[in-house]
Amino acid sequence: MISSDVIRGYNDTIILYLLLEGESYGYEISKNIKELSEEKYIMKETTLYSAFNRLEANGFIESFFGDETFGKRRTYYRITPTGLAYYKEKCEEWELTKDVINRFIKEWNV
Amino acid sequence: METIRNYLDNLFASLPRTAKVSELKNNILSNMEDKYNELKNQGKTENEAIGIVISEFGNIDELISELGINVNSDTYSQPVVTQEEVEDYLKVKKVMGLQIGIGVFLCILAPAFLILSSVMVENGVLFTSLKGDAAYIPGLILMFVLIATAVGIFIFSGMNFERFKFMEEGVSLPMGVAASLKKRHEAFNPTFYLCTIVGVCLLIVSPVTLFVSSMISEEAEDYGIVVLVIIVAIAVFLFISAGTIRESYEKLLQIGDSAPKKKKEDKVIGAVAACVWPLAVAVFLFLGFVYGLWYIAWVIFPIVGILFGMFSAVYSIVTDKNDK
Repeated sequence: MISSDVIRGYNDTIILYLLLEGESYGYEISKNIKELSEEKYIMKETTLYSAFNRLEANGFIESFFGDETFGKRRTYYRITPTGLAYYKEKCEEWELTKDVINRFIKEWNV
Repeated sequence: METIRNYLDNLFASLPRTAKVSELKNNILSNMEDKYNELKNQGKTENEAIGIVISEFGNIDELISELGINVNSDTYSQPVVTQEEVEDYLKVKKVMGLQIGIGVFLCILAPAFLILSSVMVENGVLFTSLKGDAAYIPGLILMFVLIATAVGIFIFSGMNFERFKFMEEGVSLPMGVAASLKKRHEAFNPTFYLCTIVGVCLLIVSPVTLFVSSMISEEAEDYGIVVLVIIVAIAVFLFISAGTIRESYEKLLQIGDSAPKKKKEDKVIGAVAACVWPLAVAVFLFLGFVYGLWYIAWVIFPIVGILFGMFSAVYSIVTDKNDK
């Protein structure tokens, strides 16, 4: 498990990545995060929905009601063009961060 | 599953019950539900599934700070409505616009029929078998039947609308609904303008019927009045039915005439209207029955209409100034 402090700045990026493929809803996104990270990172509900709220307020994603499936109407999200631009920015930022931090990481051979 | 719902209820209990919060809560609940069902399908026991779902919930403070919840804010005191309620409201309001439009149409038409039947009696076209003043009675009856029908329609549509009344006092709309309402409000504008333009044109052109008919003959002039009133009735119907649909969007979005400041004004004008119009009807009936002035008494309505329009316009301007 990863500490949530370290990953905080990239929760939005993770969600946007999963919306690149197409619209999705809360549980599908959190399940995909769990699977893609091979269960190393599980995003908490409050983190997920805080992120949705923040991303929508910034205009990076849009929410809409999907069709009812099994009597349940889900809120779906899709990425906006501004969101895509923001995502690209974050990717560049990460490359830089990774490069910098790596310079201070010592490989230990246990 | 009940445990999870209770858990969430408890956590959200301290938060204001706004549209945003309740929607968020529903989304989170549905998310936890999905997770719970999947864990159960994987063969986890009830307790294990609940344990995992709750442990992966996170920290409610994170949400509270993200939402920037401010309990004192005005919008939070407004009742929360669902999308279904909004749709129902719009539907009922649209029907109500048509009903009131038809009711007012009938009210305006009622004296027109009275004039028509009186004119036809005078010209010996109608009810020739009835003696003296009795020939005027069918016209009067028809007028009252029309007015009674209109009043019936008013009461019926008012009762139908009763359960949506609170929605006009200002409500808190769910995320997304406000945006789609704004779009629909804008999309309706062309129709509204068209109805208004056609209505105004009809009103402007309506006196032409008088000129034209008076050129033909004196007898025709009386029929011209009837045509004029019918044209006015059509125009008013257009104003009311289109205006009500537009108003329904504005009430929900709290813009235009339904902005909080405007509401007070509406109440005063409404109160004056409630006195003035019945008074006008009383004067009309008085002039008619006591002095037999049916042929001219109807001018009370356009006169009161114009005076009332002037009053509400002046009132709006004066109160607007005071606010600044």
